[in-house]
Amino acid sequence: MPNSIPEAPAGGGSDTARPWWLGGLVVALGCLCLYGAFSLPQAARYAGIGPGLFVTLVGGGLVLLGLILLLQIARDEQFIPQDTEDASGGESAHWPAFFTALAAALAPIFTIERLGMPITAMLSFALVAHAFGSRKTVVNVLVGAVLGALSWLLFTRLGLQLGGFLPMAGI
Amino acid sequence: METFSLLLQGFGVALQPINLFYALLGSVLGTAIGVLPGIGPALTIALLLPVTISVAPTSAFIMFAGVLYGAMYGGSTTSILINTPGEAGSMMTALEGNRMARAGRGASALATAALGSFVAGTIATLLLTFAAPAIAEIAFYFRPADYFALTVLAFTSVAVVMGSSRVRGFVSLFIGLALGLVGIDQMTGQARLTFGVPALFDGMELAVVLVSLFAVGEILYVASRYRKNASEIVPMRGWAWMSWEDLRRSWKPWLRGTALGFPIGALPGGGSEIPTMLSYTLERRLSKHPEEFGHGAIEGVAGPEAANNAAAAGILIPLLTLGLPTSATAAVLLAAFQNYGLQPGPFLFTNNPELVWGLIASLYVGNVMLLVLNLPLVGLWVRLLSIPAPQLYAGILVFATIGIWGVSNSVVDLIAMVIIGIMGYVMRVYDFPIAPVLIGLILGPMAEQQLRTALAAGQGNPVVLVSTPLSVAFLVLAGLFLLAPVVLRRLRAGA
Repeated sequence: MPNSIPEAPAGGGSDTARPWWLGGLVVALGCLCLYGAFSLPQAARYAGIGPGLFVTLVGGGLVLLGLILLLQIARDEQFIPQDTEDASGGESAHWPAFFTALAAALAPIFTIERLGMPITAMLSFALVAHAFGSRKTVVNVLVGAVLGALSWLLFTRLGLQLGGFLPMAGI
Repeated sequence: METFSLLLQGFGVALQPINLFYALLGSVLGTAIGVLPGIGPALTIALLLPVTISVAPTSAFIMFAGVLYGAMYGGSTTSILINTPGEAGSMMTALEGNRMARAGRGASALATAALGSFVAGTIATLLLTFAAPAIAEIAFYFRPADYFALTVLAFTSVAVVMGSSRVRGFVSLFIGLALGLVGIDQMTGQARLTFGVPALFDGMELAVVLVSLFAVGEILYVASRYRKNASEIVPMRGWAWMSWEDLRRSWKPWLRGTALGFPIGALPGGGSEIPTMLSYTLERRLSKHPEEFGHGAIEGVAGPEAANNAAAAGILIPLLTLGLPTSATAAVLLAAFQNYGLQPGPFLFTNNPELVWGLIASLYVGNVMLLVLNLPLVGLWVRLLSIPAPQLYAGILVFATIGIWGVSNSVVDLIAMVIIGIMGYVMRVYDFPIAPVLIGLILGPMAEQQLRTALAAGQGNPVVLVSTPLSVAFLVLAGLFLLAPVVLRRLRAGA
């Protein structure tokens, strides 16, 4: 009886898939804006509104939208991940790859001032390539270093300030 | 007549060797990023922004226009040959174009796409040439209340039309508005939403937010769900060309596509998805061979491709005449204008005629260049696809870091890059549209300023906001846009 297969477990079973935190996050963002707006004057003397009013409006809007989103989630709103080139929304997340790529994005925060652009580029490049499944690590490290060094030379020449080439060595 | 002489002067600017060079550079870059996955025109222009400090504004905008148009040409190539529409606007092209390529008619599909883009781009530029000064003329009479209503219209339409859910569209928009509030308030000098971080006093740069959302968010998303592209490239070498029969079947769809694409592209929130979809539906209805649709009908490539390109030209109308961006690409172009201390709008036409008309003239030049670059060299562009994805995405992150670090050498920007990048990841997983964030970020401050100016002029009485017929009309339209999803859903069902 192919017609009688239940499509999804009804009731409490699907609760784990409901992203309550998403709505909560939007509400929290709104509250953050409202908190920031508290210290600002809402009305200026001549203009009807001061610097705080727009902040209050945006914060209030976010809280309201977050609440609507929570309501939608309670009503089983479906969130379908976007399809892009090279990625299928239907697949579940591969977390090691995600965190490797995240490490690549985090690396510059710690390295760019002390180690400079070329070494930062080398690290980021090798990490992203690893996240995408490339295991030719030595080649990737080299390509990243060359790409970083060449970009540094080119963009510095174009007038962009990118910091030292190798600040640790004083260059 | 005045327009003609201004346009001639524009050609004088656009045909200077240095500007021709930038047009070529933009066209080549644009086509390349159109072919490559993971990188689009908005991201490319954002990454080029820091470089522009050493380039004259006219040359920079000529290059950006080349990127904008080139991405359209490049996008159609991948849609046809590997069935991967890089953006919503080329979805319809992939539908018929890839079938044609599989049936061995790839050359015809590419040719009708390129020639259609050329015809549409040229006609749309012609329309832009004459419509823009007229609209700019009207915009002189806009009052702050009108401008505020117009931004409300832009916000509503963008939040509603882009993406699948109104609520999520508005969440994106409001996040953008909140980000736009960060920094010193221009009218009173008070710090807002900076939470004591001095690096935030200057506000959030659009380039930083855009690069984080489009590059970092995309890399995180694709890395976590990466699957090797299974669809193989339909081999294609040498020229893209078409027969007389193909041409006979193509020219009407080109013109109809242009007629649909240009006006819809000029509307706030119009974008390229709706006109291409409309064009596809229209061509299927009008075709003498409706049975071919779904199996590689050339009209199904010709019409949507023309509509796509015409829509890209259409976004320049509100941008240049009103300073109103209606897409992510337009938002970053507006940021570029602001980087040069220029404010697009009616005064741009009177204060910087050289820039405006040079830019418009360069669109004609760019179209010719792109045709020459794309018809004979299509085999060369396809080779770009042999760059393996791991190294390609790694390279994108390196350039994103350079782009963000180059803005102001600020570690806070790099931290923002990661946070906003994670936000971009979440937005992709939970299907939030991204463009409204950017529109909110760049238009929010303008909306607030107009609101405050209007209210100041009206001594705080909110009635001033609906005191002109135009402002009422815009606000009513904004209200109507809230109903748009229902109409759109019917359209989709019909497509």
